[in-house]
Amino acid sequence: MQKILIVEDDEKLRSELEIFLSNNGYKVESLKTFNNTINDILAINPNLILLDINLPGVDGEYICKEIRKQSNMGIIVVTSRDSEIDELISINYGADHYITKPFNIQILLAKINSLLRRTSNSGIKDKIDVKDFILNISNSTIEKDGKIIELTKNEYKILKYLIENKGKIVSREDIMVSLWESESFIDDNTLSVNITRLRAKLEEINLKNIIETKRGQGYILKGDC
Amino acid sequence: MSLKDFIKDKIFLTLLLLFGIATIEIFLIPYPFGSFVKMYIPLIIMFLYFLGLLIEYFTKRRFYKGLYNILDDLDEKYLITEIIKTPSFIEGTILKSLLEQINKSMVENVNKYKFKQEDYKEYIELWIHEVKIPIAASKMIIENNKNSTTKSIDEELTKVENYIEQALFYARSSAVEKDYYIKKILLKDIVNDSIKKNKNSLIHEKVSINIHDLETEVNTDSKWVGFILGQVIQNSIKYKKQESNLEIEIYSKKGKENVILYIKDNGIGIKKEEIAKVFDKGFTGTNGRLVGKKSTGIGLYLCKNLCNKLGTKIELNSVQGKGTEIQIIFPKGSYIDMK
Repeated sequence: MQKILIVEDDEKLRSELEIFLSNNGYKVESLKTFNNTINDILAINPNLILLDINLPGVDGEYICKEIRKQSNMGIIVVTSRDSEIDELISINYGADHYITKPFNIQILLAKINSLLRRTSNSGIKDKIDVKDFILNISNSTIEKDGKIIELTKNEYKILKYLIENKGKIVSREDIMVSLWESESFIDDNTLSVNITRLRAKLEEINLKNIIETKRGQGYILKGDC
Repeated sequence: MSLKDFIKDKIFLTLLLLFGIATIEIFLIPYPFGSFVKMYIPLIIMFLYFLGLLIEYFTKRRFYKGLYNILDDLDEKYLITEIIKTPSFIEGTILKSLLEQINKSMVENVNKYKFKQEDYKEYIELWIHEVKIPIAASKMIIENNKNSTTKSIDEELTKVENYIEQALFYARSSAVEKDYYIKKILLKDIVNDSIKKNKNSLIHEKVSINIHDLETEVNTDSKWVGFILGQVIQNSIKYKKQESNLEIEIYSKKGKENVILYIKDNGIGIKKEEIAKVFDKGFTGTNGRLVGKKSTGIGLYLCKNLCNKLGTKIELNSVQGKGTEIQIIFPKGSYIDMK
């Protein structure tokens, strides 16, 4: 399991972040004192740190620079300073991302995921095997029993989101938020059209009704059907 | 300084001189000098006197005229004392030294307020950074405890966040020092970011977004322009038609002299007679007084202010009942490659 270290002096924020990240399948540790921050971080040696640059008594940007000298771990700076200059300094000192408070937690999670995928040597998966079919990430196609069907950009994004939340009900709003996050600003009608087309394509490979409508709640991708 | 005014100014001196000449002539009456001498004395005195006056006139005129010319050319007129040469006549030197002293005292006075304002701005920025931490913590708590109550709190928190952002930019907009950072940026990136930032309310209100032709680079501060776009988008949502879905179209056009970013909506629009006032501070208008709108009259004022600082223009066109169009105009200077 990959380890994330939280370096944040606000207790509430720290503990809530711990809960959130461990709910999302990470091993989470956090620093509670900041007297020997650099050595503490290096001793714990996490895969990634969330670093507040406004720490009591120490300069976060300095920490960032020193850590980068000695380690290749992912560094995400989380701060309430939002000027371009601060961002520039942090990035120049070796931070991988710069996020300002109050942050969108889903974006933070997405950045953590993608950063860990890159820093760990597992490489990028280019296929998701959902048992019923395979989703090819590299060319956005679905594959079943040798039959390959191409998906449009939006259909692919919708299907991927459903796969990531397999077995859970996702609301139309959730799907739209995730699409908007990747800069496909579709409206309600377009979503309906896309879902209909996606279902038709899934039907071509004999996967009828794999996306089930839950009236008034949203959709669910049935697992193991 | 006209010659007439100058002579008027010297009238007393001239009268005294004429009186002096007259007394000399009277004294000379009993003496047997020739009429040549009697004519020569007053004429030579008068001639020399007026010659002196003329020289004085032209020296002074050159100085004062130069002063006015410099003043006309100067944008910051108080800098005049740094530019003028010390004149050769006494009133001029006195004037210059007086100006310098007055100026110095005024500069000190203005600086006092500058520092005060800068200090206040710093405090506001600090405060805003502090208050963002509990907001971030609250958002995390909501994320870890998702239900309909926390969702509703989340919506309210988003409003708080927007108000805080407004306060931050208000402080920045009134700052004396330049507080922005200009770099080359793709319009598409700024627009996408602003839409993403407001996605929750946009999706909630079922807004159709239509963006196109945004592959243009401009040199500007992305945070500032992002904020302005955010204000415009939030206004569109606030003043949408009840009976139909809101559509927002965002695109850019490259002109000879500028790049124009258009943000068009099909909202309720603005009354014709109120359009000219929408950028005024505190102006809320008929729309702002509609039930539940809670207009503060700050948003667009702030946009205009920030645009002025950035050297960008913002314009608004609207037809009541049809919709509103905002144009953000980046002048050529701000997107030309500075190589």
